[in-house]
Amino acid sequence: MSSLDRPDDFEARRKHLRELSDAELHSRFWSLVERITEPLVEEARTHTSPGIERSVLLRMGFSSAEAKALVDRMHAQGMLGHGAGHLVLRLALCKGLSVRAAGEALLNGQYWEELKP
Amino acid sequence: MKLDPDKKLDILEVLRDLDRYRPRRKGWVWRQRIPEQTIGPFVYKDTSPGLTRSVPLPAAEYFSNIDPQCDLVITTEIASGRFEDDLRRMRMAAWHGADHIMVIRTTGQSHIDGLIEGSPEGVGGIPISRKQVRATRKALDAIEDEVGRPINFHSYVSGVAGPEIAVLFAEEGVNGAHQDPQYNVLYRDINMHRSFVDAAESKKILADAGILQLDGAHNANATAKEAWKVTPELFVQHAVNTAYSRAAGMAPELIALSTVPPTAPPAPKLRLDLPYAVALRELFQGYKFRAQQNTRYMEADTVETTVSHVLDTLISRLTETDIQSTITPDEGRNIPWHYNNIAGVNTARQTLMGLDGLDELLDIKQDGAFRAEVRELKERAVLFLEEILAQGGYYQAVEAGHFVDSGYYPERHGDGIVRDPAGGDCAGTVIARAADYGAPVCSHFGANRYAGKGGKPCADYGGCTLCDPAKIRYIDEADDEDNVMRRLKTPLAEREQGLLRPEVEKHGDGIVCLTLFIPDEPHTAMQAALEIARHMGLNNPEVINQRVMHPAEGSLFEIKGWVDLVIDKNALPTYSQIQPLADDEIEAWVRPRAIHVVAATVGEDEHTVGLHEILDIKHGGIEKYGFLCHNLGSSVSIEAVLDKAEQTGALAVLISTVVTHADIHKQHMQRLARLAAERGLRRKVLLIAGGPRIDERLARECGMDTGFGHGATGRDVASFLVRRWQGLD
Repeated sequence: MSSLDRPDDFEARRKHLRELSDAELHSRFWSLVERITEPLVEEARTHTSPGIERSVLLRMGFSSAEAKALVDRMHAQGMLGHGAGHLVLRLALCKGLSVRAAGEALLNGQYWEELKP
Repeated sequence: MKLDPDKKLDILEVLRDLDRYRPRRKGWVWRQRIPEQTIGPFVYKDTSPGLTRSVPLPAAEYFSNIDPQCDLVITTEIASGRFEDDLRRMRMAAWHGADHIMVIRTTGQSHIDGLIEGSPEGVGGIPISRKQVRATRKALDAIEDEVGRPINFHSYVSGVAGPEIAVLFAEEGVNGAHQDPQYNVLYRDINMHRSFVDAAESKKILADAGILQLDGAHNANATAKEAWKVTPELFVQHAVNTAYSRAAGMAPELIALSTVPPTAPPAPKLRLDLPYAVALRELFQGYKFRAQQNTRYMEADTVETTVSHVLDTLISRLTETDIQSTITPDEGRNIPWHYNNIAGVNTARQTLMGLDGLDELLDIKQDGAFRAEVRELKERAVLFLEEILAQGGYYQAVEAGHFVDSGYYPERHGDGIVRDPAGGDCAGTVIARAADYGAPVCSHFGANRYAGKGGKPCADYGGCTLCDPAKIRYIDEADDEDNVMRRLKTPLAEREQGLLRPEVEKHGDGIVCLTLFIPDEPHTAMQAALEIARHMGLNNPEVINQRVMHPAEGSLFEIKGWVDLVIDKNALPTYSQIQPLADDEIEAWVRPRAIHVVAATVGEDEHTVGLHEILDIKHGGIEKYGFLCHNLGSSVSIEAVLDKAEQTGALAVLISTVVTHADIHKQHMQRLARLAAERGLRRKVLLIAGGPRIDERLARECGMDTGFGHGATGRDVASFLVRRWQGLD
């Protein structure tokens, strides 16, 4: 519960808005919204999550179960910040394997020590 | 897969070769508005192309069975928990005009950290899995061919597996989705960092697949104590999700605001709801509007709910709306029954047809109090945003209980939802991207070493599943016990044997609803109603609606119960499946020919009502087609009937015989047949008998051309006559 309890002081608060035209009010509304969402967008641009990384592996042709197993282990080993898909693709290129074969090898417990960049 | 309108949907065919099934299109489809369209006797202003197959509104029979389709997409929400039953419900809804099928997810899927596979049963919705999504899309492809209109398939990209579900939807041709990180935070207590970081990825995937996004603001409306006071916050919630979606790369035409008129009568609904609806559309010009119907004030009375929903739909028409969503009228009392999905769809369809061309008749008055209210709502929303920033931003405002407070902002009651930015489900799972971070796939949001180097990010390995669907890994089943084939065992066996049970939700669930009035005070009346229901064979009877008509005179009850009854359809009496001719077709044939018909209630029989129903224009009888009817009245002798027939040159004789004591009705028919033959009239005059104990077979046995029993109409009789004469022509 929030401790905030306040009567409706709309008339007092709105003073600075009263003189704005509708168009000015709309543009104020949207510029405030953008100021609120800007840091949220920036966080998303520079961060990832196990869900995002699993979705990347799905797109690379792994099943949901395979994606989960790979991401869980990468997460546990602190490697997810490099990108699960990037790690698998880099391994594939380095070993001359297809992306699928590289992923399957990891699922079989191979190459984990070479995975860390 | 092709559907036959006369056959049930073959679930085994839906499931066959699913591993190889690919959706035939991606992205959302709108209806195309036709500004002036002639349909039957009318010119419509707000319609779209018609359907090739449908069930028209009941009153359509008075208007050449027309079935005009409005220009708004119509939504129905489906939540039985078994997708195989849902498919039949979707097919019925499509025949009644729904083209947006919203499939609710099973309780708790938001908290499952990964995808569900196979076809397990859900509660209050289905577990969204690749198999169930693919099977549903496949069935909908066949259903849209059957009705002749594209059908949008929709579900939810929320919870902690959002990005994976978004990929699944993009791959499997899902057309619409809810996506709003605020929903996770406020209503599912999922960590807010995780929710917003995941949401950007999900939104990027939806945007690239052309999937229409709905937001989750309507939930604030459904949970608020006094729903009309949450309106300033609704603008804020819509705006946060909209701005975030734009930043993730979503085009405005794929962003739909999910909006609900906040109140219901006895509140002064239009006066409260309309300024809000108008302010919203002015602030969010250029976006799409999905108008939902009110759920906050739904009670058990389906008629009351329906009236509120009609008013909601009126508000949709008075303002700008792209999708009219429908709520089943029974949602206030149980998980929606399938036929109530159809009732909800029809409420929207009927209302929108009735309001066709409203824009040409009405404008909302823009002077005085209305304008001031619109302005005030916007200002309150702006003040809300200012305070979020003053508190340090969105996360801090949620932490301070800024959202879903019951006060009319800036009024505060201190009862808002409070969430800890460091807490909630999956807290601490957001990870900073390293300098070398990469995601070699399409539709990825944010920093990525594979983006922007020319060509596709997935080029290094021949393409991701969004470019090459052959790479999608399909898992059929994950559980030997909880799957569709297990569940289908009994239904398929019963269907094979021709066994039928009543149902409201799932195949043969045996649930029935009984309506009865008990003339006593409410408590006694309820006990009596339940007792009667038990005696009628309803197991576990339960009152789902009680309306007091008067505290002493009595109450009306709707009681649901389960009946353990199964009918073998092969043992049912055979019946004629002949459909009557259309009214205008009958009239076009009859009127120019000036055909005389003689009718009477024969024998010592004073019943005249049945015959009036068949003959009189007032009752929809055959006079309206231009027949020249000679009704001789009641207790008429067979001889008098034939005398009149000879005198007028009648081509048909209709006798009504209600009394059946000592088989007198059979004797009348036999006597009419014999005397008509003796007078040489048998070839020229058609002989028809009617009455509650008459049917076609009995009448023929007694020498008549045909007979009509209970429920027959003038149109049935006229159709028989015209068909017979056309055959003779």
